[in-house]
Amino acid sequence: MIEINNVTKDFAGKKRAVDQLNLTIPDGKIIGFLGPNGAGKSTTIKMMTGILPIDQGTISLNGFDIEKNAMDAKKIFGYVPDRPDMFLRLKGIDYLNFIGDIYNIPTEIRRKRITKLTQLFSIDHALGDYIQTYSHGMRQKIIVTGVLIHEPEIWILDEPLTGLDPKSAYTLKEMMREHANKGKTVFFSSHGLEVVEQLCDEVAIINNGKLLFYGSLDDMRKQYESNQSLEQVFLELTNNE
Amino acid sequence: MNKTWLVMKTMLKMHYSRAGKKNTELMLLLLAGLMLIPVLFLYINLVGNAVSALYQFLEPLGQASSILGMLFLTLHLLLFIVSIITVLSAFYFAEDIESFIPYPLQPYQLLLGKATTPFIYLYFTVIAIYLPVFFFYGSVSGGSIFYYLFGIILAVLLPVIPFTIAAIILMFIMRFVNIAKNKDRSKVIAGILTLLIIILFNVAIRLNTNTEDVMEKFASFIQKQDGLLSMITAFYPPAYISAKALGDFSLVSILSFVGVLLLTALIFLLFILAGQRFYLKGVLGVNSGNKKNITTSKILTRVKNRNVFTTLILKELRIIFRTPTFFMQCVIQSLFAPIFLFIIMMLDTNSLGFVMDSFDPKKILLVLFLVTLFVFVANATAISSISRDGASWSANLFLPINMKQVFYSKIATAWIINLFTVGLFLGILLFAIKLPIEYTIIWLVIALLTSWFTSALGTYLDFTYPKLNWTDEQEVFKSRMVIFIALLIEFVPFGIIGMIVWKMDAVKGIMPTTIVLLIVLFIAIGVVHYVLMKKLSNGDHLKI
Repeated sequence: MIEINNVTKDFAGKKRAVDQLNLTIPDGKIIGFLGPNGAGKSTTIKMMTGILPIDQGTISLNGFDIEKNAMDAKKIFGYVPDRPDMFLRLKGIDYLNFIGDIYNIPTEIRRKRITKLTQLFSIDHALGDYIQTYSHGMRQKIIVTGVLIHEPEIWILDEPLTGLDPKSAYTLKEMMREHANKGKTVFFSSHGLEVVEQLCDEVAIINNGKLLFYGSLDDMRKQYESNQSLEQVFLELTNNE
Repeated sequence: MNKTWLVMKTMLKMHYSRAGKKNTELMLLLLAGLMLIPVLFLYINLVGNAVSALYQFLEPLGQASSILGMLFLTLHLLLFIVSIITVLSAFYFAEDIESFIPYPLQPYQLLLGKATTPFIYLYFTVIAIYLPVFFFYGSVSGGSIFYYLFGIILAVLLPVIPFTIAAIILMFIMRFVNIAKNKDRSKVIAGILTLLIIILFNVAIRLNTNTEDVMEKFASFIQKQDGLLSMITAFYPPAYISAKALGDFSLVSILSFVGVLLLTALIFLLFILAGQRFYLKGVLGVNSGNKKNITTSKILTRVKNRNVFTTLILKELRIIFRTPTFFMQCVIQSLFAPIFLFIIMMLDTNSLGFVMDSFDPKKILLVLFLVTLFVFVANATAISSISRDGASWSANLFLPINMKQVFYSKIATAWIINLFTVGLFLGILLFAIKLPIEYTIIWLVIALLTSWFTSALGTYLDFTYPKLNWTDEQEVFKSRMVIFIALLIEFVPFGIIGMIVWKMDAVKGIMPTTIVLLIVLFIAIGVVHYVLMKKLSNGDHLKI
């Protein structure tokens, strides 16, 4: 479970990035986090993952406060950043090994998971190459693999499907579903509204740092008394702001 | 021409962008600049005295022009070496070139854009060395208006010839190296080899110079007007005609001046032509690395469990050794000082041994300590500890790693890289200087502690003034004054402490000096660790 309580974030000289955000994300669900560019999605995710300090309010993951119990909180989530351009000078296998050491995964289990995941994403042949030589999608896949090898309770994914080929996107979506079915949490931001419609149990829509809507798609249709598509509701909501 | 100018401007902007920099850094720089003013006066004074003394000695012999000859020759050589290093990093290891390639630009336009940064360094060298000597020579020799006019124009043209020679040699080599399988690695190797060959070439020339022979020639050359100038610049005409252009205003000086202009223009044209032909062939695919076909089962044998601290250090070392820019800046450049020292030793072992004999033990230890400190400060590993991470820095924040461990691993990495320098020094001390074993052991202990101190301080400074949002690895080292600040912080207090101990009669002999140095080092390390930990507990790592 992720609990975001009254979270506010300001950047010097700019308008408020996140404004009194309250959000409780239950276990066993896939939550889509939507909003136009610059709405505060990435800032929120960065605060959830400990990358940015929180100005006001608290965020806790499965009961661990990200600021007060940072280490415990960080051990239970896996995070895929919006840009996968990290550790480019490491080889794929070095990166996965590095992650394995950080999360203290025993060698045998590590081997099994690396084999399984990299074969699923068809990057097993490239493990000996530098991440620098990978395409955007392959970089995304190696980062996702890195997250999945330590089997975190909570998945936090910032635009995880961008750049993935159809087969890998399908695989990842299946994995997200499976993870939620096990009673775990999947929280992901996306601009792909079809994906959200197809995959998510609930959506959170944010604009100008404020939460505009949180609930299931059915709730949304009821609330807006229409049979409109998510796209239309989204455009309406974010345009009226 | 407009496009060339645009490319140059854009590349400069990217290099010297202040994005993500704090204003406090600028203030510190200003302060550092102010503190350097007395040093500047001292330097100018020194140059002035040297030039007028040389002039008074050589002028009656009709050999004053050899001062200018020497100046041009030394400058060209120095500019050439600086060019090799800067061309290598700017032309071949910088990655920003890839963002320009898709645009409709000629290779020569990209090349000129790339040449701007090295040229800035070259002009700094010219300002620091050429201008003072030139003005003092002008004033003692009563130079005419043409002397100053020609001299200023020559100052502007000075870097062109050495830079072009360096660039053409490297472009030619890289054109062929780029065919190799592992491009990153082969380029680093080619770069190092070029440098080594130049250094060896220098050593060989010096070792092969027969002193008697030179003296004999010297005697005959000195008979003729400007004979010494001809002798000094015999192998390098650009220096000869440049010196001639600054001689008494006459037809010869005008012709020589025109000669320099023509030669510079010709060589510059050659540079453009060579660049148009070879540059892109040598640079394309530089960073593509190599792809090997290794079976997954073989790769999986590399899966091993390590503790977090070891894995962090290993990650740092891998990134440094596999990134050509980092490797050149952190590893190779830190070896320069000891290698140059070694060359000097090779040439002049006896006099140094004599110097060692004449010092008392305290002074030997103090000198060794200050030299070691100086060499370690020049190591770029520590002052790039945080900045090297670039976009990967955020991983330190969202992964469950203890921040203290991250910082200790970075300090340890800089310390490990310093071990190369320590090793080289150890060799020099034992075999070239033949330092007694007890001194060597004491030095080793002091050096290892000094290395921890400079590594921790450098990491702290980089943490305070980091540059994370770079697009090209070069930016981590360029236009950053952290190294300068480190130099000031390390030299002002340690210089003063060194001087006090030097003069203090109470501290005598090898053991008391060692104890004083150890106490100073422990205090220094303690202070740096204290401020670093304070910054961490403030949560400053989240604010960069």
